[in-house]
Amino acid sequence: MRFLLLFLLAAAALSLNAADKAQSAAADLGSVKVIMLKTMTAQMKYDENEIIVRPGEKVKIVFENGDDLPHNLVFCQPGTDTMTMAMKQMEKPEEAIKRNWLPDDKSIWLHSKMLNPHEKEELIFTAPAKTGDYPYVCTFPGHALTMNGKLKVIPMGQGLKELKFALFLGNWKRLPDFSKLKPHREGLVPDNLIDIKLDDYKNEFGVVFTGKIHAPRKGSYRFYIAGDDGVRLLIDGKKVVEYDGIHPAGTIKEESVQLNEGDHEFRFEYFQAGGQIAVFAAWKGANFDVTPLSAWRPDGWEKGAKAKKKADYAPIPILVAGEPVIYRNFIQGAGNRAIGVGYPGGINIAWSAESMNLALLWKGAFMDASLHWNSRGGGYQAPMGYDVLKPTGEVTPAFFVAEKPDAVWPVWEKTKRYEGFAWKGYTLDAKRSPTFRYSWQGAEIEESFSASGDGNKPGGNPTLIRSIKITGSLPANAWYRLGAGAFEEKEGRFVAKDRLPYSIIAEGAQMAGQNLVIPAKAGTLTITYQWAQ
Amino acid sequence: MKPFSLFFALCSSLLAADPVESDFYKITTFETPKETALEVGSIDLLPDGRLIMGTRRGEIWTVSGAGSTDPSAVSYKLYASGLHEVLGIAYNPKDKNIYATTRYEVTRLRDVDGDGRADVFDNVSDAWGVSGDYHEYAIGSRFDKAGDLWVTLCLTGSFSSVTPFRGWALRIKPDGTMVPTCSGIRSPGGLGFDAEGEVYYADNQGPWHGSCTLQHLVPGSFQGHPGGNEWYALAPNMGPRPIDPSPENYQGDHKRGEARVGGDPGRMVKERERIKQLLPPAVYLVHGKIGNSASAIICDTSAGKFGPFMNQLFIADQSHSNLSRVFLETVNGIKQGVVFPFRLGFASGLIGGRMDGEGRIFAGGSDRGWGARGGKPYCFEKCEWTGKTPFEVHEMRAKPDGFELTFTQPIDAKTAGDLKSYSMREFTYAYREAYGGDEIDEILPTITAAEVGADGRSVRLKISPLTKGHIHELHFEGVKNTAGHPLLHTVGYYTLNEIPGK
Repeated sequence: MRFLLLFLLAAAALSLNAADKAQSAAADLGSVKVIMLKTMTAQMKYDENEIIVRPGEKVKIVFENGDDLPHNLVFCQPGTDTMTMAMKQMEKPEEAIKRNWLPDDKSIWLHSKMLNPHEKEELIFTAPAKTGDYPYVCTFPGHALTMNGKLKVIPMGQGLKELKFALFLGNWKRLPDFSKLKPHREGLVPDNLIDIKLDDYKNEFGVVFTGKIHAPRKGSYRFYIAGDDGVRLLIDGKKVVEYDGIHPAGTIKEESVQLNEGDHEFRFEYFQAGGQIAVFAAWKGANFDVTPLSAWRPDGWEKGAKAKKKADYAPIPILVAGEPVIYRNFIQGAGNRAIGVGYPGGINIAWSAESMNLALLWKGAFMDASLHWNSRGGGYQAPMGYDVLKPTGEVTPAFFVAEKPDAVWPVWEKTKRYEGFAWKGYTLDAKRSPTFRYSWQGAEIEESFSASGDGNKPGGNPTLIRSIKITGSLPANAWYRLGAGAFEEKEGRFVAKDRLPYSIIAEGAQMAGQNLVIPAKAGTLTITYQWAQ
Repeated sequence: MKPFSLFFALCSSLLAADPVESDFYKITTFETPKETALEVGSIDLLPDGRLIMGTRRGEIWTVSGAGSTDPSAVSYKLYASGLHEVLGIAYNPKDKNIYATTRYEVTRLRDVDGDGRADVFDNVSDAWGVSGDYHEYAIGSRFDKAGDLWVTLCLTGSFSSVTPFRGWALRIKPDGTMVPTCSGIRSPGGLGFDAEGEVYYADNQGPWHGSCTLQHLVPGSFQGHPGGNEWYALAPNMGPRPIDPSPENYQGDHKRGEARVGGDPGRMVKERERIKQLLPPAVYLVHGKIGNSASAIICDTSAGKFGPFMNQLFIADQSHSNLSRVFLETVNGIKQGVVFPFRLGFASGLIGGRMDGEGRIFAGGSDRGWGARGGKPYCFEKCEWTGKTPFEVHEMRAKPDGFELTFTQPIDAKTAGDLKSYSMREFTYAYREAYGGDEIDEILPTITAAEVGADGRSVRLKISPLTKGHIHELHFEGVKNTAGHPLLHTVGYYTLNEIPGK
């Protein structure tokens, strides 16, 4: 029989909970939170897009321009449309240049100078007392779309109350049903922090912590746990999150639960099989930040389970400046032979050299290459921008031979090709906009796109015009499908009855069941896509 | 007096310092364009002396001034971007266009408006499948002597081929016709030619491969991994599908990394007798010793400008960030030969490489996905001969009763003729579906003779026994040159597929 001695901070004189501790630390005279923020080389972004501070905290931001272009750092009041603010100064560029591209805008409450490449500046300030998301941005022309972030002013939440422990002895590989076991020893945890204090290296025991947790208002709360070995967290007797089995403590698991305002029963179960010992628990609410409920915290605990993933794959946005940019890779929703094209003005498409069809179109930023340019290059990357349209679904050909146009079009099979299609390539015009070339059933087809309006700003009326030039003869009963799903005809436009309404305009188009089609014949087909109705 | 004697010991070791690789082959690291991570995947030469370089990030760059003695003279211009991993780049002297092998396509690029950037991207061939699995890389060659381009296709993962021609080598004819050419490929890392234009690829340790290998792509051959053999149904030119390896060589119940109770029964040398299309690797690039992740194959065609190793092959490695040296010969109609360590110390994992007419090897790569000893995330470098000849085993040839070694310098007859200067160990790997494998069936043969040749630069070793199918690991620590220096590298691994007849 092995001896096991377990002390749970029995000698602790303090009874501060975690939140009190954190706040008292921040209020210490001369205590300043130091944050390093850098612009990244040739990536048009800051190295952090989120900075978290406490209300009223003293903060020093060491801002370094690591890029070869000038950049500044401008903080605005919550709700400021920083894109519009940065673009507005282009209306009077002479004045803006005099101000070194710092907008004359009341919402700005803190800013750096326009730093030259590799310059550094320190900003020392007291964080706003009012909680909220304070956007920050670089206001040099054209940078605001990708060079931005949020200063989150958010307090910590409350900790646990009336925390007790019960120690059990046993040799388990998974968490046992502690309710059926008799505790070896029980007691209070005076500092209300989950912790396991041993006087020696020990194995084969379990601990159940019980106490109360106070939800300041009705809403969703997120709980985080980690452990070495198995851990489980229950609220009001119901399991919220669990990480059972024998494992090291590195991985954080998290889940959300709805709670009414008031006190709730908190229960945290843990077992130790052998080796290292660690327990972590934390929670987060709508108006407070991740707050630890345990004495020990793994690296990156402030960001929860996403902490590690984020660090591995910092975004690598593919910037679209004066000319269209191409990105051929695995694009989610556009198959294995996808060709992404980002047009200047925040309009983007993904064309499939599998189905020889337009798979996606979207507004805003083009693509984030971080998934493919980290690690081995696998995985499907979704568009980086927003309002993604998929007029005909996933990678399905537009051309099809059918007696009746309400037929079911072919669906994508990952490992197969569509018969009758041959991919030829693309040619860039003088503006470097691609024309895709392919053949179908002997006919030669060329497809080009022209984008107008602005997909980067609200009300920019982004429009994409697609021209399909068909040369040669097509089979009888050939159809060209422009859209799949429900469309409503309104004054010559076909408006998608989708979660995200958009219009397709094409002369001669008609609805046939779930298909918006045109009879396919030689000539040029023009299709207009608009995000607005 | 202790510190004093230590001081002298240090001095004497410095004075008599043994030669090191960098005395003979110098590596120069180039600055790369700041706006990108130049993860070099492939390199070829343009007729005007510039290089053309494809990257894992899908860019193609033209590079000027890399041959200059001043590394800061290098300059880069972006020729194309947005392609899906350029792991093959080739200038075609016939039509003067650039060809890029990407994940799902061989693309011909043309700069019609002459602004130095490609504007026409023609699909030359996309006659193979891609399923979205990360492992399905496509590696492309330069143009071979017939004017064809070769493409080797990684399997879907390590074991299977879910879409056509994964695990195959294909030839793309000038008109775009695709010819399925060899089956049995697992995870190719590079394609290259020997001095006669024969085509080779480097495969990587995994199922059916106990080690990385250099393999000769003889049209019609089966290179060992049966995972892609269902595509014989789409390749009538290849004849009947090879019979599968014996059932006991498949994984069965034991998992990756787990040893099978009683050992694995499969041997390449035995299966060759059953499977007539099976061609054994020309050279095993012994795992963990020569490299862990073989990539580019570079032939020294500089006629002496790269030193004494004319027509030999240099194999790059991503994991070890090094170059190894291979001497090949043909015995009983098939290729076999020896690999020696050559040059360590590249800055990142090497993937692409090419020698120019002046005997300069340009190489580069990245550590992404697997890690590399070099330490940098990516690199572009040049390896040049300093003009000093290293003392090395120049060639190692199989003989009916042993091996013949030739040296790059006159040898000291006493040490070279001393049996104690040599030691040999023979081993092989199991031919099995499970991942990788140990060095097994070890034999410690007797070296019965070491006869120094009349030319003073060669030695004839008699070995008992020689073992067909085994790797013959020869150490020659004791051999000195006439100046009393030891060999720069003191080990070679000879893959004895065939024992020459008397």
